[in-house]
Amino acid sequence: MNALNDPIFLAAVALLAPIGAALLLVVLPFVRHRGAPAAGLCIFGSVLALAAAVKLLFVHHELGDARFAVTWISAVSKPIAEIGLFVDGTSSSMLAVVCLVALCVQVFSVAYMHDEPPRGYGRYFAYHAFFLFSMNAFVLAPNLLQAFAGWELVGLTSYLLIGFYFAKPSAAKAAVKAFWMTKLADMGFLFGLLWLFVATGGFEWTAKLDPTVAVGVTLLLFLAVVGKSAQFPLHIWLPDAMEGPTPVSALLHAATMVAAGVFLIVRADPLFVQAATTQTIMLWIGAFTAVFAACLALVQRDIKKVLAYSTCSQLGYMVAALGAGSAFAGYFHLGTHAFFKALLFLAAGSVIHAVHSNDLADMGGLRKKMPLTTLTFVIGALSLAGIPGLAGFFSKDLVLASLEGRFGWVPWGMLMFSAFLTAFYMGRVLCLAFFGNLSHKAEHAHEAPLSMSGPLIVLAVPSVVAGFFGSTLAHAVGGHYEAHFVGLTPIVASAMALAGLLASIAVYGRNRDARVAGAIEGLDRASAVDRLWELGYRRALLGVSSVLGWIDRYVIDGLMNFTGYTTIEAGAAVRGAQTGRMRHYLVAVVLGAVLVAVMGLVA
Amino acid sequence: MNHWLSLIVAAPAVAAALLLVLKNEQKLAIRLVSLVGATVSLVGSLVVAAQYDRALGGFQMLESFPLVPSYGIHLKLAVDGWGVALLLLTGIIIVTGVLASWSVPKRDKEFFLLLLVLVAGVFGVFVAQDLFVFFLFYEIAVLPMYLLIGIWGASHDVKAAGPFKYVWKRFAVGGKEYAAMKLTLMLLVGSAAVLVGMLILWNGSGARTFDMQVLENATFSRTAQMWAFPLFWLGFGSLAGVFPFHTWSPDGHASAPTAVSMLHAGVLMKLGAFGVMRIGMVLVPDAAEVWAPLVGTVAVINVLYGAFCAASQTDLKYIVAYSSVSHMGVVMLGAATLTPNGWNGAVYQMVAHGIMTGLFFALVGLVYERAHTRAIAKMGGFAHPMPAVAAFFTLACLSSLGLPGTAGFVAEFLVFVGAAQSEHWWWTIPGVLGAFVTAVYVLRACKSIFWGPAPKGEYAHLQDAQRTEWAAPLVLGSALVLFGFWPRFLLDSIDGASATFLSRVVTVASAPDMETNK
Amino acid sequence: MTLQHCLLLAAAVFAIGVYGLITRRQAIGMLISLELLVNSANLALVAFAKHAGAPTQPLVLFVLAITVAEVAVGLALVMLFYRRYDDTLLDQANEARG
Repeated sequence: MNALNDPIFLAAVALLAPIGAALLLVVLPFVRHRGAPAAGLCIFGSVLALAAAVKLLFVHHELGDARFAVTWISAVSKPIAEIGLFVDGTSSSMLAVVCLVALCVQVFSVAYMHDEPPRGYGRYFAYHAFFLFSMNAFVLAPNLLQAFAGWELVGLTSYLLIGFYFAKPSAAKAAVKAFWMTKLADMGFLFGLLWLFVATGGFEWTAKLDPTVAVGVTLLLFLAVVGKSAQFPLHIWLPDAMEGPTPVSALLHAATMVAAGVFLIVRADPLFVQAATTQTIMLWIGAFTAVFAACLALVQRDIKKVLAYSTCSQLGYMVAALGAGSAFAGYFHLGTHAFFKALLFLAAGSVIHAVHSNDLADMGGLRKKMPLTTLTFVIGALSLAGIPGLAGFFSKDLVLASLEGRFGWVPWGMLMFSAFLTAFYMGRVLCLAFFGNLSHKAEHAHEAPLSMSGPLIVLAVPSVVAGFFGSTLAHAVGGHYEAHFVGLTPIVASAMALAGLLASIAVYGRNRDARVAGAIEGLDRASAVDRLWELGYRRALLGVSSVLGWIDRYVIDGLMNFTGYTTIEAGAAVRGAQTGRMRHYLVAVVLGAVLVAVMGLVA
Repeated sequence: MNHWLSLIVAAPAVAAALLLVLKNEQKLAIRLVSLVGATVSLVGSLVVAAQYDRALGGFQMLESFPLVPSYGIHLKLAVDGWGVALLLLTGIIIVTGVLASWSVPKRDKEFFLLLLVLVAGVFGVFVAQDLFVFFLFYEIAVLPMYLLIGIWGASHDVKAAGPFKYVWKRFAVGGKEYAAMKLTLMLLVGSAAVLVGMLILWNGSGARTFDMQVLENATFSRTAQMWAFPLFWLGFGSLAGVFPFHTWSPDGHASAPTAVSMLHAGVLMKLGAFGVMRIGMVLVPDAAEVWAPLVGTVAVINVLYGAFCAASQTDLKYIVAYSSVSHMGVVMLGAATLTPNGWNGAVYQMVAHGIMTGLFFALVGLVYERAHTRAIAKMGGFAHPMPAVAAFFTLACLSSLGLPGTAGFVAEFLVFVGAAQSEHWWWTIPGVLGAFVTAVYVLRACKSIFWGPAPKGEYAHLQDAQRTEWAAPLVLGSALVLFGFWPRFLLDSIDGASATFLSRVVTVASAPDMETNK
Repeated sequence: MTLQHCLLLAAAVFAIGVYGLITRRQAIGMLISLELLVNSANLALVAFAKHAGAPTQPLVLFVLAITVAEVAVGLALVMLFYRRYDDTLLDQANEARG
């Protein structure tokens, strides 16, 4: 068979091209320190990966699923863990999305990171190459163990990228926080893996489980998802993660880090459908997060934080759909969201690059200075808001449809409300940043160079049209889907989106400083969840550790010292007997000899 | 019959003897002789790893010379699957350790001499197939530490407090002499226990021999086993840092010079765990099974307690030292599971932790030599002047917290799988929690040392790694990644040995009429 | 002269030696007493060889040789002691006091 028609070969290229680039950047410091060549190498790797991924879509369409695995660990000469590549509709489509978004972000970064010194520039692209490898390893995983490995490596690279500006204490703090929060949740993944292995002797995606085990394992896996996909109450790392460079936020929020959580559930759907309890919990947590995060997005002053909370909220949609048992709805929304959220973040990056500020108050009237950025941002925002005809509309509609009638329409209603809020806060960003009068800081803004606007245009296309490929995607992953515009859900959803947009224009079109939700602002400032975690960390973890540290030094080790001390003191008590005079010892020897002799005679 | 094993053991010893004829002023010659001695051992270990027949398994490359035949003592060397992995670990650590101590400040000759003697002992333990010789090498490995810490070590203040405050008037807690003395005394008490256990076996087997293979096939009375196992566990365990006999480790490792910390935490603590498994569990399997619940429970205390203690430290070396206590707990946990996965994980963790902690101590030494402080609160932004050190330190941190793609993950994962499969599945909970706490303290340390604004004042001109200092980060760092991505290189041989030993423990221990046969 | 006579003599010499060792304060005196002890043992050994047929004569030769060595070392020590303390009163040497 021609290698280019071999799905495994193509998948291997998509996996190995980025790690090849990353390894070269690690072992060739002189390339990395030059900056620009490093970017070239990284992008070359991503282009190769994307080409392979796109080709793989067609090959998979023709040839169907393929699996390749080698023994990674064995015990008593029997393999217990495998690593390899698994190509099916889900992984091949996700792979293409991941590679496309990653490539766009990398190309965008070439100009965006231009002011970075060459060493930092090279380091940045080395991280990116490694990131793509980790994500692809996760997406192509043939079993849960490799998925876990990829998952953790994605977490690692997110940590490195969020902390890219490590000289800034806030960035350092945010990176560590992101790692801790996800690592805390990943304990769930690890426990789930262990339980799964004990129950089935393997780490297969499609294992058959007892009902109790199924609920236990899936709940544990879901815990990891809550951390990774920033669901309430582990969402607190996500807004802080905005400390990273803006293209990084685009990457993390669109198709990779946070999307990994949702993708895991999609992938492990055969396990999740065996656990109705878990699905119910997912549904409620997803719906709650969708509303909660949308509320917080209403009051953010930082353009990136609006988008960050919006991601949280949209992930809530996906989780809710998955909880409703509609894996395809969640997956579809994941795909469309990847495009328009990457677009929004990159466009925001372009704006931040131009006005040198994240603050919405510093922006205004940018449409005059940056028409292309404005156009693409508007497309992304409308798609996110769910304006009929754009990509976001179809997938969001499908998510909402999956909830129809569940639990007395309550989750459905929550998501509908959240749809309204989504349109409202996106309208707010549009009004404040792009329309209205030109702000002081925006006076010197100018349109981004082609290397930055190019990726925006590339991403704008699927943000508009991706919705029409729903049935193709459904066919690839083995489901069925038909777009429809008429019906209760699509009509209400469209109405919500339009109402939200109009309402925000009505409010912010007239008064930039309007405050619509004072209570939420108060909540945001109080950041109660954040503080609770902070308290848990300082009081519980560090508190216990300082107590134990003291006990170890002064009680446990103190006991050892006490033993030594007692020995020395006991020695001191009897040392008087040792006069150091030879004659005394001699007398003792003679007396001893006499004693022995006498004892001998007596016996 | 080839002589690779005797070569591995003898090379450092011969190099040490050669050092005796050199003068203290011949600094370069001293270092080169030591480096050659260490390298020969490393090459030997690589050859052994390559030549060891994984399909065949068992003991290979047997060499035997009678030593005191009337007491059944033979200098008998052979290597099994565990030995292959641990020899390689020791070889890597000693070569990088010698290179990392290139700038030892005083009494160079004696320093390298003791280092080489020590490592000859370590190599000997891993290949000895005779209890007496095993013990001999064990002591050779443990004793030089006293001088190495006492002479070349560093002191620090420990404030007098707590219920045992009055001991401060007798000795300066925190001083290097104190650390050296505490370490030596605690380990020697352990040795004494081991010696008693050995004599119980020698007497109980009826064969009056120290030959381990003969002892493996001997059946010991239940009483003898029940006495021997705890002696081995606590005796060897004191070197493996088993709670509560771990307290020599933080002070000892914090006081010791760089290469000595590398060797001690990287290799010597493994001797303890190796002893518990190879002598304790394999030779007295009946008792091992009875005691295993306690061993495992103490091990999870180690894991969690060590991690929490590490999180409370402000001195960089103490953090790393306590992390060793925690990670050695993982080794003991794997051993206590008495499952193939747990045992593979335990031995793999010895290798992974050895390399990881060697890397840690090498880097900490490097930072200390430049910044002259180990208080992490005083550091900050060191990644600006020393990016390579920062990168490798991060790598060590990642292996420490068990990130996939590093050796630490494979080891910890296998241990946890073993624990989940054992009767005491709950051991995984503190185990995994310990890994999380590890993530907290290593990343916090990493952040406060290397991240933040570029340092000013006295730390503005810190240098990155220079010449020989590159050896330890490069070799150990790549080993961590290599063993993380391709575990089968070592795991296949480890697995062979674990399976053989374990089949003995399980079959003997589960034979139902064991008691009635006597 | 029977074995008993010899042993009694040896015992007497031994007792004198012990008495001398304990009471003498000068190092030389103690060394001489030590010689008495050794020679009493030699006497006993020879007596055993003569009367009881024990194969102890080689032992006597060993003892003699060792005694010579011991005296050599002992006298050297006394010399050193004298240089340090200007005297040979051994009670001054109590550095081993606990």
